[in-house]
Amino acid sequence: MKPRVTPIPIEIEFRRKGVFLMAFVGILFSVILVRLMYMQVIKGEYYTGLSRNNRIRIMGIRAPRGRILDRNGIVLADNRPSYDLIAIPKDITDIGRVATRLSRLIGLNAKETAEKIRKGLRKPYTPVYLDRDITFKKMARVETESYDLPGISIDPSTERDYVYKDLACHVLGFVGEISKKELDAHRGEGDYTIGDLIGKTGIELECEDTLRGKKGKKILEVDAIGRRQKVIEESIPTPGKDVMLTIDKRLQVIASDSLGNRAGAVVAIVPSTGEILAMVSKPGFDTNMFLGPIAPGVWKKVVEDPMHPLENRALRGQYPPGSIFKIFVALAGLSDNVIKPSKEIFCPGYLDLGSRRFLCWKREGHGYVDLKRAIIESCDVYFYHLGKDLGIERIKTFANLLGLGMATGIELPNEVSGLIPDEDWKQRRFHRSWQKGETLITAIGQGYVLVTPLQVAKAMSAVVNGGYLYTPRIIASDSPRIEKQIPVPGSYLDIIKDAMRGVVEDPHGTGRMVRDSMFSIGGKTGTAQVVRKFESKRSDEKDIPYKYRDHAWFVGFSPVEKPEILVVAIVEHGGHGGSIAAPVVKDVIKGYYFIKGMDNEKISKGNK
Amino acid sequence: MRRYQKVINNIDRGLISTLLLIILMGLLCLYSATRSVNPGIFTKQLLWLLIGLTSMVIFFAMDYRVLKNIHWPLYLITVVLLACVLVFGRDIAGARRWFTFGHVSFQPSELAKIVLVIWIASYGSKKKGIQGYNIRDLIFPFVVILLPVALILLEPDLGTSGIIILIATGLFLTIGIQGSSLVALTSMVAISLPAGWLFLKDYQRKRILAFLDPTQDPLGSSYCTIQSKIAIGSGRLLGKGFLHGTQTQLRFLPEHHTDFIFSVVAEEWGFIGAGILVLLYLLLITKIISIGTKAKDRFGALVCFGIAIYFILHVFINIAMALGIIPVVGVPLPFISYGGSSLLVSMTCIGIVLSISWRRFIF
Repeated sequence: MKPRVTPIPIEIEFRRKGVFLMAFVGILFSVILVRLMYMQVIKGEYYTGLSRNNRIRIMGIRAPRGRILDRNGIVLADNRPSYDLIAIPKDITDIGRVATRLSRLIGLNAKETAEKIRKGLRKPYTPVYLDRDITFKKMARVETESYDLPGISIDPSTERDYVYKDLACHVLGFVGEISKKELDAHRGEGDYTIGDLIGKTGIELECEDTLRGKKGKKILEVDAIGRRQKVIEESIPTPGKDVMLTIDKRLQVIASDSLGNRAGAVVAIVPSTGEILAMVSKPGFDTNMFLGPIAPGVWKKVVEDPMHPLENRALRGQYPPGSIFKIFVALAGLSDNVIKPSKEIFCPGYLDLGSRRFLCWKREGHGYVDLKRAIIESCDVYFYHLGKDLGIERIKTFANLLGLGMATGIELPNEVSGLIPDEDWKQRRFHRSWQKGETLITAIGQGYVLVTPLQVAKAMSAVVNGGYLYTPRIIASDSPRIEKQIPVPGSYLDIIKDAMRGVVEDPHGTGRMVRDSMFSIGGKTGTAQVVRKFESKRSDEKDIPYKYRDHAWFVGFSPVEKPEILVVAIVEHGGHGGSIAAPVVKDVIKGYYFIKGMDNEKISKGNK
Repeated sequence: MRRYQKVINNIDRGLISTLLLIILMGLLCLYSATRSVNPGIFTKQLLWLLIGLTSMVIFFAMDYRVLKNIHWPLYLITVVLLACVLVFGRDIAGARRWFTFGHVSFQPSELAKIVLVIWIASYGSKKKGIQGYNIRDLIFPFVVILLPVALILLEPDLGTSGIIILIATGLFLTIGIQGSSLVALTSMVAISLPAGWLFLKDYQRKRILAFLDPTQDPLGSSYCTIQSKIAIGSGRLLGKGFLHGTQTQLRFLPEHHTDFIFSVVAEEWGFIGAGILVLLYLLLITKIISIGTKAKDRFGALVCFGIAIYFILHVFINIAMALGIIPVVGVPLPFISYGGSSLLVSMTCIGIVLSISWRRFIF
C-alpha cells in the first residue's frame, strides 16, 4: 500500500485494502489447491501404493558398539558382523505357513516362531527378531526362498565378541537383549527398541552410554510382501566410543592362571594411583555363551550353580579378613596412642576373658612380642590385648576411615559394602548387647567383620603409599582421585611397612614362602575361619569338609620402599593364607616385573 | 414486528451457513480420527462448540465499538494471563501453555491473538486521513506486541508467537506503511533473523532443519510429514470414504486430531472433499474481507481485516504443513482441529464480524 498524497474517502480506501487482502488469500489458497490436486490426482496412484499396507518401513540401524581395550590397547571385547532373521508381522499373510516353512528351512521351532510373530502383531510394523546371528548357510537358504517368505528378511548387524572368552569376564560383563523392564526404565532417553542389545553387567553396563553410540535410521519403501524396494531416506549411525581399561591383559592372564580353577579372587592395584592392573574372580564363565539366544538350560545352570560363577568376588565377595585386619588394628592403636611400638606383651598361647578362653593360633604361645614381632608372626594374643584396649568403636572408626565397611567407588556396578560391626549394629541386627569377647575376635579379623578383596586392596594401598586413600579405578581415562589422607604419622606407617616386610623376610614370618632374592616384598597373611573351631583338635585340613575350610588371604606389595604394585588374593576355603594365597600373589608380582622388563626392553629397542 | 424481521434479514446468512458447513465437516473428521483412540475427545469438542456458539452470540449482540474502548484493559488482562500461565500453568511435555481446571484446559496464547488484533485495530483507527506509518510510529505498537510475544516464547511456543507476529505484520501492512520505512524494516528483519536462530530451542531448530534437510531427523518431524503426505495423496480424487482412511485408522499419522487433521479430511474425502473444504474457507475469508470493506468505521474495518488475516494464516500454514510445503509448526486448523481455546477464539471472531456486518445498517 503506497501512501497517497490526497486523502481518499474511507470506502475507497477500504475497498483497495480489501482487494489487496483478496489477492493475498487468492494466491495462498491457489498454492494449496494446486498442490492438493498434484498430490491427490496426479501422484495419487503413487501415494496409494505407499499407503496400501503402508509400504513405508522405518528401520533402526544399530550403531557398532564401542570396543573394550586393555591399558595397552589390546582388544578385550570386539564386534564381528552377524546376520539376524527378522519378521514384519503385518507383512506375513499366513503366519502358520511361514513358520512351518522356516522350521523346515533352518530348523526353527515352528510353534514358537508363529507365537512370536503373533505377539508382534500388536505393533504390526515393528520388526520381530526370530533368530540372532544365523550362519551363512541358513542365510543363503532364507534368501533363495524369499519369494515364498513374505515379511521375512535378513538384517545385517554386529554381534559382541569377547576375544579371550572367560578372561576378565566379570570386569567386562556382557550384553544381552533388552528386557521389558530395561525398556521401560530407558523410556524417554536413548533410542532403545525391542531386540536391541544392552549392557547387563560389568563395564558393558557401567559404560553403556559411551559404548552404545547412536542409532541410524533408514526409511524404506517395500513391496507388497515386505521386500525392500528402495531407500527413501537414510541416516548413518554414530558408532559407540571405545573404553580403555587400566587392566593389563598379560597380568590378568597371569593372575587368572595362578588362581587356576580354585574359587577366589585376585586384585592387583597400583598403590600410588588406585589403578586396577588385574581383577580376577573365579569361577568364571565364557561370556560368548550369553550372546544370541541362550538355551534356557544353560542359563539356569549358570544361575543356579552353587559356586555363583556370575558374581564378581573381587567386589561382591564378602569375607572375614582374618589376620589381614591386624594391620588396620595396629595402625588404629598407634594413631590413638594406645600402644607403643616397642611395648612387649606376653603371649602364653591364650587370653582369658571372664569365663572364656581365647586361643592364639600358636598353642604353645609366642612368649614376649612387640608390635613388629606380633605382625610378623601374626600373634593373636597381642591383638586381643590391643583390641580390648581400643574398644570396638575406635576399631570401627579407624576401619571406616580406611574405606572398609563401604563401597570403594570403583566404576563397576553392584559393589557391596562389607561390614564393620559395632554395638549399635548388633543391637539392631540381633537385639542383643555387644560382648567384650566380640571386640577381641574382631581385632583379629574374625566374628562379624566382612570385607571385599577390593576394599582390602584400597585400604592396604593407603597404608603402603604414605597414607593417601585412592578410589580404585578401572577406566583409563578417569583421573586418580584421592579421597583423603589417613591421619597417621608417616613414621608409624613405616613401622607397619617394616613389619610387613618382616612377614615375608623374617625366618619366622608367616609369609616367608613368598620371599624372593630378586625383589623386596612386604605382605600379610590371613587365614579366615569360616566356622568357629574352638579348641577342637586341629585335624588335618583335608579331613574338614570343603565348605568348613578356612579362607586363605594374602596381601603383598613390591618393592617395599616405593611400592609399584599391590596384590590381594583370596582362595575360598583354601586353608592357610601363607601357603595357599601367598604363592598366587608372588606369581602376580613376578609377572608384573616380567612384563615391566619386557616393556622396557621394547622401549630401549625402539630407541635404538 | 417489521423491525424484528429486519434484524433477522440483516444477519449475514451466507457467513453463518459457510461456518456451519465447515463445522459439520470438522466434526465428522474429528469423530473419524478419534473414535478408536479416544472417543472422549469428540464429546469434549462438542462441549467447546456449545461454549463457542454462546460466545459468538454474545459478541454478535454486543456493540463491537465497546471493544475499541476497552482495548487497553483487554490487553492488560491478556498479558497478566500469559504471565500467570508461566507460573501456574500445567507442564505438558516441557511447555507451560495451559491453565487446567479439572478436565478443561485453556490456552491464553490463543486469546492473545484476537486481543492483539483488537488492539492494533483501535490503534490504527485513531489516525484519520492516514498517510501510512513510518518507523517512528511503529515503535510503540512494536513494544506493545513484543511483550505478549516474548511471554509466549517463554512457554515455549514458537508456532503461536510466530503466527502472532505474522498477523500483526499483515495487519500493519494492510493499514499502510510508508515505502521508505517498509524497505528499512524489511532489511532490519533480514539481518535479525540469523540472530533469532540462537534463541530457538533445540527441538525447534531440529524441526526447521529437518524440513530443510529431511535426512537429518527421519523419525521425528519429517516422519509426520511423510505419513501426512501419504495420507493425503492416497485419498486421490474421491477419498477412501468416511471412517476408512487407513493411515488414520491404523494410527500411522501422529497428532491426526490436532495439527494434522487436514490429512484425515484429504484421505477420507479425497480431492473433492478437501477441495470443498478449502473453498469453504476461501468463501468464509472473502466474506469477512468484504464485510470489512463495507464497515461503517475504521475500527470495524480493521478488526475484520485482522480477523481475515488470522484465518488466512491459520488455514494456510496448517494445510501447507500437512501438504509438506512448509515445516511442521503447531498451528491449529480453525473450527476443525481439536482444541477448546482455538475453537472458542475462532467462534468469538465470527461473532465480532457478524456484529460489524449487522451494525452497518443501524448507524
